[in-house]
Amino acid sequence: MTRLFRKTLLSASVSLAALIAAQAATAQEAVFVMATNEVGAPTYNPIKATMLNTATGLIFDRLVSQAADLSYHPWLAESWEEAPDGMAWTFKLKQGVTFHNGEPFNAETVKGWLELFKTTEGENGYMAEAIASVEVVDEHTVKFVMARPEPNLLYNLSSTFMGVVEPKSFAALGDNYGVTEVYGTGPFKLESFAIGQETVLVRNEGYTWGPEVAANHGPAKVERLTFREIPEDSTAFLELKTGGVDFLLSVPADLMGEVQKEANLAVLTMPGQDVWYMPINVTKAPFDDIRVREAAAKAINQEEILASVFGGVGAVADTFLISALPESHVPDGAKIKFDPAHSNALLDEAGWAMGEGGVRMKDGQPLKVTLWTQSDSIFRRLTEVVQAQLKAVGIEAEITTFDSSMIRDQYKTGEQHLAVRSYNWDNADIVDWFFGGDRLGYPNVSMFNDPKAEELRAAAMTGAKNMDERIANFTAYHEYVLTQFPMAPIYQPVQAMAYSTDRIALPEKIDAPAFGAAAFLDLEVKE
Amino acid sequence: MLPWLIKRILMLVPVFLAVSVVIFSILHFIPGDPIDNLLKIGSSPEARAEMEARYGLDRSLPVQYGIWLSNVLQGDLGTAIVARRPVADLIAQALPHSLRLGGLALLFSTVVGVTLGVVAALSRDRWSDRAIMGGVLVGSTMPSFWLGLILILVFSVSLGWFPVSGARGWQSLVLPVLTIGLGGTALVARITRVSMIEASGRDFVTLLHAKGLSPLRIQLRHVLRHALIPVVTILALRIGWILGGAVTVEVVFARPGLGTLLIKSLAQHDYPVVQACLLMLAMAVMLGTLMGDILQALMDPRVRAAMT
Amino acid sequence: MIAPLRAFRHPQGGLAGCWLILVIAAALAAPLLTPYAYDVQNLPQAYQPASARHWLGTDEFGRDLLTRLIYGARTSLSVSATAISISVLCGMVLGAAAAWFGGWLDRAVTMVVDLSWSFPEILIALILVAIIGPGTTGVMIAIAVAYIAQFTRLTRAQIMMLKGETFIEAARSLGAGNAHILFRHLLPNALAPVLVSAMLATGDAIILEATLGFFGLGAQPPVPSWGGMMSAGSALVFKAPWVIVFPGLAVAVTVVAINLYGDALITELDIRSRLRREA
Repeated sequence: MTRLFRKTLLSASVSLAALIAAQAATAQEAVFVMATNEVGAPTYNPIKATMLNTATGLIFDRLVSQAADLSYHPWLAESWEEAPDGMAWTFKLKQGVTFHNGEPFNAETVKGWLELFKTTEGENGYMAEAIASVEVVDEHTVKFVMARPEPNLLYNLSSTFMGVVEPKSFAALGDNYGVTEVYGTGPFKLESFAIGQETVLVRNEGYTWGPEVAANHGPAKVERLTFREIPEDSTAFLELKTGGVDFLLSVPADLMGEVQKEANLAVLTMPGQDVWYMPINVTKAPFDDIRVREAAAKAINQEEILASVFGGVGAVADTFLISALPESHVPDGAKIKFDPAHSNALLDEAGWAMGEGGVRMKDGQPLKVTLWTQSDSIFRRLTEVVQAQLKAVGIEAEITTFDSSMIRDQYKTGEQHLAVRSYNWDNADIVDWFFGGDRLGYPNVSMFNDPKAEELRAAAMTGAKNMDERIANFTAYHEYVLTQFPMAPIYQPVQAMAYSTDRIALPEKIDAPAFGAAAFLDLEVKE
Repeated sequence: MLPWLIKRILMLVPVFLAVSVVIFSILHFIPGDPIDNLLKIGSSPEARAEMEARYGLDRSLPVQYGIWLSNVLQGDLGTAIVARRPVADLIAQALPHSLRLGGLALLFSTVVGVTLGVVAALSRDRWSDRAIMGGVLVGSTMPSFWLGLILILVFSVSLGWFPVSGARGWQSLVLPVLTIGLGGTALVARITRVSMIEASGRDFVTLLHAKGLSPLRIQLRHVLRHALIPVVTILALRIGWILGGAVTVEVVFARPGLGTLLIKSLAQHDYPVVQACLLMLAMAVMLGTLMGDILQALMDPRVRAAMT
Repeated sequence: MIAPLRAFRHPQGGLAGCWLILVIAAALAAPLLTPYAYDVQNLPQAYQPASARHWLGTDEFGRDLLTRLIYGARTSLSVSATAISISVLCGMVLGAAAAWFGGWLDRAVTMVVDLSWSFPEILIALILVAIIGPGTTGVMIAIAVAYIAQFTRLTRAQIMMLKGETFIEAARSLGAGNAHILFRHLLPNALAPVLVSAMLATGDAIILEATLGFFGLGAQPPVPSWGGMMSAGSALVFKAPWVIVFPGLAVAVTVVAINLYGDALITELDIRSRLRREA
């Protein structure tokens, strides 16, 4: 026994020594915590992924960058020109750009990359759908021949999903692309990726082609970035507070006050890109009756939620789009706002009379519906408030909590009545994504499939010849969807981040719609 | 000894087969389908069938089981459907964390538990006995996620001694080990104390006293040796707890490990990963049982005699 | 005097027993004890620390924490106790059958039980909830299944031990049939240790229920359970620590009480040696 015991002790001390040795820290490195809604992204493959995290935007450059005012600026493309009829775009590419694996970036690679959208099975094909073919004009000039005018092309080209991929390694690595290895032209290279845990990026030393919107065009000032994935906001906050990490890429509104209490922590806010909403399944009784849908939608007290759940930070949502988008400017009558008197009147009219215990009844049946949510604490909290607000007009909602990664599968069953969800996107085409009649279940959680909406949708997605037309068409589509009440808008947050002022020096101005490559190029670590 | 050992190992084969059947089939009762996660939204039934064929999910269950088992026996755990990488890689990433955490927690609860158990047994029914056993009981009745959070608040946030979460360096192991270890300590201390007291009443102890050996020496050298047999057996039998029981603690401390991998894959219906995790746990359990038997045999002269 | 009452004579057992009676009585009489409803939100009153109006403070929805704690006892205790009862019933049937009939049945049962006993209950329960679905029923079944192995082992061991006793031999020689011996002699004698360990297991089940609640899988809101309350509270630790501290204390104190009372009961019933073998 004693011998055994001594041996165990010995091996324990050996492993302890090994652990201590592994602790050697590197200078000029910073630890970030990924935004909670980006936790669990399974791949860094922009062509295939439906979810990409912030680190993806540092590995891949885009042809075009976007400034804070949403205008477009050069990045890998020096300049561009659209044909008057919108049927062709010519891009002049930056010279001297190379991928992380040494391959040159030129017209051929752009052609090869764009072809991947047509040949790869995935959700993102629509981004390059309007491009019929790509012609190589010379080594640094490409011409997109369009199948139809696409006023949204520059937006698509500035999105992370259109990060420029090196096509040879993409073909060679197959399913491993984005998982074990990944090659872009970005300011940082992937060093290691443990799914759901941690991503380590190292500086691309030869990088000199940063986006115009950044002050520093490269290389980046920080040598090494560690992105940790922590699913719980409160744990992440405690890590920041105790100096375990330097930067949180998301802070929920109810924690911002806690951050501001700390002398060495600061909050950084940028305009929000999220909308929280309650999809209503239009196919499931009683919500097949538009009056009941409208009643449920108008039972949601957005102001109360903003004040109590989100601490007054952000804004209420009364349409499906963030208010920064011009397409969100629908006539007042189409906006969905809290109106309990109208809710009650509608329910009375639909035959649901107030019964005992505050639950409405019709033909002996109580007005009982399901309300789905995901397991993150902020979702659960918001859902409980929504539940209480529905109860106030006589709708009894039964909450079911699903694991965040499992809930998409559940929506595909179409069994939900109501749910509480959020999305993150800053383009009007999100209306198409969540209410398109060919995506029932998920993402179309509302199971909304309406002939008139489909007509307006086609006009908005593919019928516009220029930006003004696109805006008009999308506004009309969005407005019509709102009047059918397939959802109730709830809240639009600001993008809030928190960081340690002892460790991180932020640039004076971040001229971008989100905290991405431009911000990371200018960011410094204090020694 | 050797023939006994071989027989003992051979007996594990049917157990392994039975376990593998259970593990394989149970997952197919879980509602939801991993293929849904992969398919392009709005895909045709043909695309779905093709994807199913690609992952072998179109065959009958027994055939799927056969293919899976033969692959597993050749060391091929398959490819994760959602995480899109070899399952072996995921396990290789998670397992060292689990072993480190579980091993240290086991070490902690054994050393502390045996020590406390011995002290309590030596001071039987006195206040120190009551205090130790009471303290140990309280330690084991706190839900581990709750205890973990309280420890984080005290030692990480207020005192700043240890990191809040993660798996970077030995400091990050201290609080998780303590959280799991406290629960196990109660079990070990309780068994040690009871077996010590029981062993003290045996004939050979009376004999040793008669020979004039010092009481403390008798207790620590002879009685403890006997008392440790049930402790070792229980610990070996519960080896599955070391690897899988840390789930909650791994979640609270946002640590990687087999437990979190299992839970996450379960939620995502990533069958190959769940199957591999469960199989690893089952194998650890079987190995633990075997080790328990062997240790018991080595330590107990009666069993040793019966083996040959 | 019967043993459960005699256990009150032990100082620790008595104190523990009183606490348990208090908790159960409070759970049963919940609506009479508190002026608040467990599900009515009062958002302006959120995050209030303890005060004369709210003895334990309020939660993130401004609901009275004490009220929710008392109603939570209802959920936590009833789920755990029901689950363990199912578990005991199934375990006794399996264990008795295995011990009585022996042979391949015994070997098969022993193998399955040994293996599943070695798996952490939390894992078994989590997998089962994934199959059945979240909610009170799912959690109840999951906990029940997770503990079957324990009671099967115990019952089997008791019956095996009793099988060799002289009074069984005597009954058999008097011509008593299988069923008669099993139901009239063996099971009644095996009952005391099984029931006591069922009581102790109820304590573990409360913790397990709380843990499943922490994963958001237990009783669905607004119905309170101790685990669910702690789960919500874990996100508020630095803002409203009382939301997580009090339910945690309720779990710990109740489980300690169950253990102490169970311990006193074991002494009174004089079954310590029969339980130990099964550690």
